[in-house]
Amino acid sequence: MTGILTASDVGKSYGSGDTRMAIIDGLNLSIAKGEFVSLVGPSGCGKTTLLMCLSGLLSPNLGKVGFKGQVVTAPPIGLSVVFQDYSRSLLPWKTNLDNVLFGMRRVTGMDAAQKKARALEILEAVGLPGFAGHYPWQVSGGMQQRVAIARGIASQSELLLLDEPLAAVDAQTRADMQDLLLDLAKRFDQTCVLVTHDVEEAVYMADRVLVLGPRPTRVVREIVVDLPKPRDQISTREAPAFLHARHEVMELIRSMRQGKALS
Amino acid sequence: MTRQTRIALWGLLVPLAILALWQVAAMLQRTPLFPGPGKVALAIWANYPVILRELGITLLRAVVGFGLAAVTMIPLGIFLGRVRVIGRVLEPLMDMLATLPPPAIIPLVMLFAGTGDGAKVVIIAYAAAVPLLMNTYEASHSIHPMLSRVARSLHLSRFETMRLIDLPSSLPMIATGARLAIASSLLVSVTSEMLLATNGIGTFLQRSQETFKIDAGLAGIAFISLAGIIVNAGVFRLEKNWLFWHYRDQRPAE
Repeated sequence: MTGILTASDVGKSYGSGDTRMAIIDGLNLSIAKGEFVSLVGPSGCGKTTLLMCLSGLLSPNLGKVGFKGQVVTAPPIGLSVVFQDYSRSLLPWKTNLDNVLFGMRRVTGMDAAQKKARALEILEAVGLPGFAGHYPWQVSGGMQQRVAIARGIASQSELLLLDEPLAAVDAQTRADMQDLLLDLAKRFDQTCVLVTHDVEEAVYMADRVLVLGPRPTRVVREIVVDLPKPRDQISTREAPAFLHARHEVMELIRSMRQGKALS
Repeated sequence: MTRQTRIALWGLLVPLAILALWQVAAMLQRTPLFPGPGKVALAIWANYPVILRELGITLLRAVVGFGLAAVTMIPLGIFLGRVRVIGRVLEPLMDMLATLPPPAIIPLVMLFAGTGDGAKVVIIAYAAAVPLLMNTYEASHSIHPMLSRVARSLHLSRFETMRLIDLPSSLPMIATGARLAIASSLLVSVTSEMLLATNGIGTFLQRSQETFKIDAGLAGIAFISLAGIIVNAGVFRLEKNWLFWHYRDQRPAE
């Protein structure tokens, strides 16, 4: 398989013997450079474990994860993770600017002044001009997640792994942040993998939706979202292609949940 | 007058009332063994150069002992919290040492290190080490796993993670440990001088008692409390300056 990020026959389980619990089994996927891919699945299917395996934070028991042709054994340079829990993922003793700069420690070929200029540019791009000197705890939740996204992009990132990044922000901020993420992905050339359990969000943002099966999970269906970009919160959500994709994903997830209830 | 200032004034009135009662009680007695505040004030005036010199020696030893403990135990605690296997192996030992009163090791240390400055510094360092190590270890090993994930996803080495993430996030608990350690250092510094009499404020107190100069002894005690208050205020300021991000709830958001 080619692609910037690949998973081939990935399996992950915890424990052994009778208490062995398989989370992922025989999962394959391939993300092409520049794509925006959403991963959705029924609750508790192992989305977060999968994301940890893809990011190199966890090692799969079976199979391989590859990033830019290299086997992933630890978080590789060029791959950034944005966590759901922004308040814990930012360092409270550092200002927003210093948090972004902290993500640039491994960036080469830039001196301190250039790094600072770049960090300020990204902070402005995420919509936080004038908040560089504030501490994360002085700004709202949505703003904190913007800082975390800025930190991810700043670390010479080519691929952003987004672990339910908007699950904890309020509904209005959420719509703004969806558009912001799409805009940032284009502007900073980021390939994005979004893990979410919000089906509408998954379809709205993605070029492709991968639906995960129940645990032990694998990709059970791929849905190409044939909608023009840039997306629009009102017209995109009314487009027949959007409604069709949303319908397909929801029906699939519902059938999986019912199947689980029956078994 | 606001409620706060009234309460503060009452708070001052209590020690003043005690001083007044003490003075009256002392005037009713005719023994040099029960000096009143007046006599103690005179003793402070007569003895302050000696007291300050001796107190300086005591504080210097406390500072050296505390410093030794801080530069070794804080890194050790961070390390043990991060390298969990070793931490868990050493936990029972740490618990055992934590319950041992520091002055109990004085005779043992005397045996090996004599009664000089070195011996006292060793005992003080031990007394300060226990709360510093326990608090640092506890803080470091209860760091939220999210921060470890962040560290790894930002490609930090183990050492960088300890220095740049574990240490700062442990600072609030280390500060609590440091307060205990400072109190303990002062206590043990004075106690060790009483047992290993050479110099220092502890020796001064001991001598004053042996020669029935109770007023001089009380003067010495007054200076020790004053030093304690100053040290505490200093620590409080440092905490406010360094840990503002931890005490943020008490600050209005901008």
